[in-house]
Amino acid sequence: MDKKKRTRFLIIIGCILAVLLVGIILTGNHSGHEEPIKLVMKDAVLHEENRINFLGIMLVNPAVISAYTVTAIIFIFALIVRLFVIPRFTDAPGKFQLLLEQAVGIFDGLAKSNSPQRNKFLGAYVFTAGTYIFVGTMFELLGIMVPATSGTAIALPAPLADINGAISMGVFSYCVILSGGIAGNKIKGALGTLKDFSLPISMSFRLFGALLSGALVTELVYYYITTSFVIPVLVAVMFTMLHALIQAYVLTMLTALFYGEVCTKEGPIEDGKIP
Amino acid sequence: MPLNIDPQQILLHLFNLVLLFGILYVLLYKPVHDFMDKREEEYAKREKSTKDALDDAEKLKAEYEEKILTAQKETAMERAKASAASESEREKIISDAHERADKIVSDARDKAQAEHDRLIARAQSEIAEYVSKAAEKIVMREGDIEDDFDTFFESQEVKKDNDNG
Repeated sequence: MDKKKRTRFLIIIGCILAVLLVGIILTGNHSGHEEPIKLVMKDAVLHEENRINFLGIMLVNPAVISAYTVTAIIFIFALIVRLFVIPRFTDAPGKFQLLLEQAVGIFDGLAKSNSPQRNKFLGAYVFTAGTYIFVGTMFELLGIMVPATSGTAIALPAPLADINGAISMGVFSYCVILSGGIAGNKIKGALGTLKDFSLPISMSFRLFGALLSGALVTELVYYYITTSFVIPVLVAVMFTMLHALIQAYVLTMLTALFYGEVCTKEGPIEDGKIP
Repeated sequence: MPLNIDPQQILLHLFNLVLLFGILYVLLYKPVHDFMDKREEEYAKREKSTKDALDDAEKLKAEYEEKILTAQKETAMERAKASAASESEREKIISDAHERADKIVSDARDKAQAEHDRLIARAQSEIAEYVSKAAEKIVMREGDIEDDFDTFFESQEVKKDNDNG
């Protein structure tokens, strides 16, 4: 690109940006928000105002819609992979095959290292949980708008940024741990799991707090027009990606750790078999 | 409920999670895991067969080495046997040669002795003849020449008689 062309390109880009800025300033409700920031923040936590009609049956928080949308996305992706990619797997894997094998291998390895005696179900569960947390958190970045019952349009949040979603994940993980305890150690395993009754609460609220904090910071940044340029790239995208990875790792690691603890039988292992 | 906790929505999320678990397990986790297991099994099988083949080769090598060692031992024994046989043969030949040589030498000695004896005898007879002739000559110088002729003729006649019979 010569100097003349470069100058023309920069002028065109500058003009487009100037027009967009004017448009943003003239059309936006920057001078007076429809909702005050306190209400926006409170609604991000409690979802009392902006609710969504779920299949015409009931009113639900936006996170429920997010959860089913994420499941639908994952289902379509998994179906395509199952039908068109997996049958073409080779012994010398390509990039995409390597990515899939790596994803399965990481969670399988996590399950095996934490629960050497019983890990088949655990591996599948941590794979699901990790995928759901990662994809669900990244889903927030898409900013899919849906009409709320209050009449405004809201962007779908991460499914786990809702307390109900986080509780369901915590409870499900706890049930998996409990099932591992019962399968591995019968009554003793069940009692061992029930002893840590605070586990589902801590798991749920850790997940909820971590994802909610990201959501709140993002809401705050987007609320004011002055912070709506450049900063969201750092705050929203990077924080979301970090949350997605960290929370997926933390929950799966904790689940695997507790599962291994309650289902492991005591006593020496003879010839690799459970005594 | 505080914090807008809604059991119905929790159940909705749980339903979604179980559904997702089923979907991911059937469509993604199990097939990929099975493929990886199968490949690992295949590699383990190949490794085992390679190890077995290597073990067989090692065993065969040891067997061949043992055979070579045995053959070498046998060859050495045969060689020693052959060497011993040839040594005894050689000794026999030498002793025969010695015997033959001794015999030859002994025969030669006998012959030489006989020749010697013969020569001695001949020399003695010749000496005696010469002595007799010398004596005759001495005697002839002292007597008559006629007597000599007579004696000569007489001796010739006697010789002729002897020759005739």
